[in-house]
Amino acid sequence: MLRVPVVRATGLINGRLCAVSLHTTSNKSQQELVELFIDDKPVQVPPGTTVLQAAAKVGIEIPRFCYHERLAVAGNCRMCLVEIEKQVKPVAACAMPVMKGWKVKTNSDLTRKAREGVMEFLLVNHPLDCPICDQGGECDLQDQSMAFGSDRSRFVDINYSGKRAVEDKDIGPLIKTVMTRCIHCTRCIRFASEIAGIDDLGTTGRGNDMQVGTYVEKMFLSELSGNIIDLCPVGALTSKPYAFVARPWETRRTDSIDVHDAVGSNIVVSHRTGEVLRILPRVNEEVNEEWLSDKARFSYDGLKRQRLITPMMKINGQLQAVDWEDALVAAARSIANVSANKCAAIAGKLADAEALIAMKDLVNKLGSESLATEQRFPNDGSGIDLRSSYLLNNTIAAIEDADVVVLIGTNPRYEAPLVNTRLRKGYLHGEQTIALIGPDVDLTYEHEHLGESFDVITKLRNDSHPFSATLKEAKKPLVILGVDQLTRKDGAKILYETQALAKALGDNSKAPQDWKILNILHTNASQVAALDVGYSSTVEEIKEQQPNVLFLLGADDANIKKEDFPNTFIIYIGSHGDVGAAIADVILAGAAYTEKVASYVNTEGRSQQTCAAITPPGLARPDWKIIRALSEMAGITLPYDNLNEIRFRLEEVAPHLVRYGNVEPANFFTQAFEIAKQQSGESFLPDPVDIKHKTLDQFFMTDVVSRASLTMAKCIQAVIKQRQSAV
Amino acid sequence: MASRALLRQCAIGINENNLGWSRLFSNKSIEVEKKPAVRKNFQEAGLSEEETEYLEALKNPITVTDENVGYVSGVPEEHIKTRRVRIYQPAKSAMQSGTNNIQFWQMDFDTRERWENPLMGWTSSGDPMSNIQVNFATKEEAIAHCKKMGWEYYVQKPNLNQPKPRSYGINFSWNKRTRVSTK
Repeated sequence: MLRVPVVRATGLINGRLCAVSLHTTSNKSQQELVELFIDDKPVQVPPGTTVLQAAAKVGIEIPRFCYHERLAVAGNCRMCLVEIEKQVKPVAACAMPVMKGWKVKTNSDLTRKAREGVMEFLLVNHPLDCPICDQGGECDLQDQSMAFGSDRSRFVDINYSGKRAVEDKDIGPLIKTVMTRCIHCTRCIRFASEIAGIDDLGTTGRGNDMQVGTYVEKMFLSELSGNIIDLCPVGALTSKPYAFVARPWETRRTDSIDVHDAVGSNIVVSHRTGEVLRILPRVNEEVNEEWLSDKARFSYDGLKRQRLITPMMKINGQLQAVDWEDALVAAARSIANVSANKCAAIAGKLADAEALIAMKDLVNKLGSESLATEQRFPNDGSGIDLRSSYLLNNTIAAIEDADVVVLIGTNPRYEAPLVNTRLRKGYLHGEQTIALIGPDVDLTYEHEHLGESFDVITKLRNDSHPFSATLKEAKKPLVILGVDQLTRKDGAKILYETQALAKALGDNSKAPQDWKILNILHTNASQVAALDVGYSSTVEEIKEQQPNVLFLLGADDANIKKEDFPNTFIIYIGSHGDVGAAIADVILAGAAYTEKVASYVNTEGRSQQTCAAITPPGLARPDWKIIRALSEMAGITLPYDNLNEIRFRLEEVAPHLVRYGNVEPANFFTQAFEIAKQQSGESFLPDPVDIKHKTLDQFFMTDVVSRASLTMAKCIQAVIKQRQSAV
Repeated sequence: MASRALLRQCAIGINENNLGWSRLFSNKSIEVEKKPAVRKNFQEAGLSEEETEYLEALKNPITVTDENVGYVSGVPEEHIKTRRVRIYQPAKSAMQSGTNNIQFWQMDFDTRERWENPLMGWTSSGDPMSNIQVNFATKEEAIAHCKKMGWEYYVQKPNLNQPKPRSYGINFSWNKRTRVSTK
């Protein structure tokens, strides 16, 4: 049923949405469109479009090495040379803006000859490494030399005396460099300076002696460094943990969602023989574009270590492996005659929506409402009743459109690296002004530091701060509040003040109707889903309550200690043996995010689902199935037997949880603000704003998977070593 | 079974030079007029009344009212009723710039258990659908196929790409932050 040739023949190739979007311009701009002909196919594009983009619009792909859609145009590889009628020389399609009536020939003799020439020059100095090169099979140079290179070689140096050789660089524990393979496309350099905001990479020398490197040997200190592996069109930059592990054609790829932060980056999990071999980003323009943070990309080896592969029970004070039946019976016995309101659950960072709803239903059936997330969200004030007070309402993609952004108590660079790339994009391309309240950290872009006290928020609102003027002038202001601040005792007050600031800005500014100023930036993948489903309690309340039975749904926060629950029977459901499992009386082995079909809601309220790539190790099972089995053992069977039925239940509670891929916008800002007003009387605590992740080494280990990862440990070591050597 | 019966029907039709068999292959199911009972041949003589009726029924075109091909396709019922089909547009490989292998829609099935085979260390699976990926030109075709086969499906939201015009000039603009300092 493969219809690809048919598709191409019918020209449906433009059915890809990218082309459609270029068409959907208003009537006015349609008059301004420039018409040109690519291989005799007419195409109309807005002025300023490059030849390469115009060709892409009619489905003709011009080969390229240095050009990348998301990076600045460099125009130095010359692979995209095309012939244009009545022009003497071939022109670089990636850098040349179109002119009316041009007839571009992408497959003429001149074009082909130009490409073959470029290819020949590239291959003169490129080693014949392909059999031992990690890029083999997914190498642009390999493919393009097959497709566009010459069919014979003029290379006569059979003794290999003249090939260029370059010393390899050591740029950290994540990226392996074989610089002899480098073709000087400068994509990595442009990525480092534009997206990552670290001007570490650059070139030295000219012509044949040109080298890409860091000038002095140092680590590429970025939370996004893994992306230069993807960008490299050859095998000069490859993944160190993945070195010599597998070929791309022998792995199976599963589309999934990342859970290491609350961005919900789209990923592709490459796996073979029940093992995750690597994780790559998947393009999603609305979430992660095509980048991925290092934690999401490289912490996969944590999925193999510290795993709970069998249910366990505390026998004579020691945890011992038991059968599912024994563990479930022991757990069921403890909950069978628990009195009402003596049962509680705490959900961890990586809990999925299915497990959350099953857990909630179980605890509710046991007559309790004590459901908390390990990260406290204030339930006084407007609390979790209205979604607008806990979402990144304005969506991640729209961040780059803002003109003034106030960050309150957050370091997006480490809390949500892909939100930070949006801010940096707005800073670079949209002349965004960014201000920060909190410890002055390096955000990779220039920002105004407004202070470390929450009083600044009130001052900004009252126009008594120097920055108020800028904020007032803003056409599209944005306030982003770090959710970590809300875990403080005065969290509700902080939320109220931020709401008040957003309200004041909204009243003043000329922002469009659907522009939402108030935004909360989450750090935990499970948090939004948990709040949506109705996890309204806090860990502190549960500590006061002293339940007889406590469920830890992957909750591994150091804040949850056995001393706080001396007479509580603790049941841990999760994938890794970490802090939570250590204090449990019964452990029910759950699945990690690569092993289950599960829903996660990201910080903007976008529900997305993971797909099971591999099977859970040993006896481990998907979390919601464990809870379902436990409920049956305890005689209070939950009414869902398969994934569809539990998703119906999810839909019953909150329909947006199963509308995958879409953001369910929240409104009722005014109402939320009205409810929150009861907090207005309180005052801030004297402690200044503090954030958890200030430096790169604090970024790498934040959850059970990354804590179990050797690669992440190496990264931390490397960062610390780099810092010491720099002093 | 049904397909074999159909074949047999065709063969008989050809043998007897029957008008009805040509209708069998026309797309529209035509109302077939009741034919007078034909003389039974020797083979059919020994059959019971039920069996004769069954064979008679087979001689007419079989009209399928709902287009559910799944049950006659030979796919075990388990793999029709319990599977979830994902319809999606393949994502561009992050490692490469080419886009020629993503211009279509695909469907695949939910992942079932796979294990490492102790003999060779290869991956085994008890799932006959685990390697099935079907390509379609459009989403609608994929949906129609799934409906026809009786599979439960969902459509993964495709990525919406909005390329912005790029310019070489902004690298050198004197008053913009896009000015490039590193090379």
